[in-house]
Amino acid sequence: MSNQHRIFQNALVAAVGMLFAAPMLYLLLLSFAEGWTFPHLFPPRVSAGLWETMWGREQGLVGGLLLSILLSVVVAVGSTSVGFLAARYVSYHRWRRGLLFLSYIPFVMSPVVLGACIHVVFIRLGLVGTVAGVVIAQLMFALGFAVIFFVSFWNAERKSLEEAARMLGATTPQTYSRVLLPISRQPLLLCFLQTFLFSWFQYGLTLIIGGGKITTLPVLVYLYTGEANIYYAAGASILLMLPPLVMLWGNRAMAVRFGR
Amino acid sequence: MVLTVQEIGKCFGQQMVLQGVALSVAERQTLSVLGRSGCGKTTLLKIIAGLIAPDSGTVRLHGAEITKKPTEQRNVVYLYQEPLLFPHLTVFENIAFGLRLRRLPNNDLTHRTTRMLEHLELQAHAKKFPHQLSGGQKQRTAFGRAIIIAPDVLLLDEPFSSLDPETRASMQHLFKQLAQEYGIASLFVTHDLKEAILMGDSIGYMEAGKLTTFASRQEFINHPDYGARNEIEFWSSLRQQATNHDHAATV
Repeated sequence: MSNQHRIFQNALVAAVGMLFAAPMLYLLLLSFAEGWTFPHLFPPRVSAGLWETMWGREQGLVGGLLLSILLSVVVAVGSTSVGFLAARYVSYHRWRRGLLFLSYIPFVMSPVVLGACIHVVFIRLGLVGTVAGVVIAQLMFALGFAVIFFVSFWNAERKSLEEAARMLGATTPQTYSRVLLPISRQPLLLCFLQTFLFSWFQYGLTLIIGGGKITTLPVLVYLYTGEANIYYAAGASILLMLPPLVMLWGNRAMAVRFGR
Repeated sequence: MVLTVQEIGKCFGQQMVLQGVALSVAERQTLSVLGRSGCGKTTLLKIIAGLIAPDSGTVRLHGAEITKKPTEQRNVVYLYQEPLLFPHLTVFENIAFGLRLRRLPNNDLTHRTTRMLEHLELQAHAKKFPHQLSGGQKQRTAFGRAIIIAPDVLLLDEPFSSLDPETRASMQHLFKQLAQEYGIASLFVTHDLKEAILMGDSIGYMEAGKLTTFASRQEFINHPDYGARNEIEFWSSLRQQATNHDHAATV
């Protein structure tokens, strides 16, 4: 490879890297900026004052962060575990195609459309404006995804492995703990990650079913943006991006470990 | 009798797969069931193993009815055409799987598994994972995993069909040796006439869901309908020709 070619390749990689990193770096800078007005290219002063104010009780950022974590973990754990078992039922059912079609319905609708459809029912059930209502609404979408995700996992080979374990004397819990769960670690982890991210970044569905009372991080970002408070919006966005980054890094580390 | 099957019938939709099937297997004996693909052999084995429920008939083990007993309580192991080893476990752990479920003391478990590995000549591969093994090694591991728990009956569904002729012959030999040593009764299903004669103490022939059993190998060989006599005569004449050719060349 010629020197020129290598330089071009490195420049291309750096450009692509910057394309991904630039928004994050810009948000980070914005969250520490003070008095950054037009036409300054860089902020005249940086300070942690904004972060100190944002963590204050009245801004609700801590509450929003904790609520987002709670919602996403509940939705991810619920949809992954129920989806894993429901997909098994669907896969081995004689009406597999019909059941699979039903699983696709919430998945093919956008979450906002799903929210609009169930809104009236949720009002009657007293679920609008409650955490439980938002969890159920998000689960409807995430569960459909999890079922579709796991349907291909439950194939003839998995069924035969399950049968082989039972013939050797394994009860149903033993079959799961000693065979099915160990061989499905990676897909389980991947599904958890995907459903967590769906819930974590969910805005429209949370706003419709939450009725503005359930202020998760994405709702706060939109709120700050609507108020033209770009510094607060940047701070909340940074927080919004941190957990997914940590999870992606963790997932990669685990994938490498399992790969070995 | 270790295994007695009476009047088993099974339909899938409109299709009758098994019709009044009856058989019995004595202790330490192997019954070979010969039949073409799709004649109902696999369905019969799965019914005995408890993986499929029959529409009619009974399955008895040592005289006790097990027709409705769950698979894990039968002590009957069905070996598939593919070895189906647990991919996340090593060869050692695959073989020890059934013993771990029975909560055997660790020393005993290690001793028995190591002994089985020696029988199977797999000591050098104990720490390998299934994807690191050859077809024959995988099949041997599957045998060891099944035999180590001393099942009352072993059901074999064309277990050597995916192996090359040489490995197949050595596996047939190994199976006979292990079945003798561990005193296991077995039902061996195959579509290969030679293999059926070689493996079975008695033979059954299955066609369109109906099973005809023969008390001895000789009875089956002498029966004019199944072509066993012709096959033996063909191989004998070929052998004779080869001997004559060798003799002429020597002279």
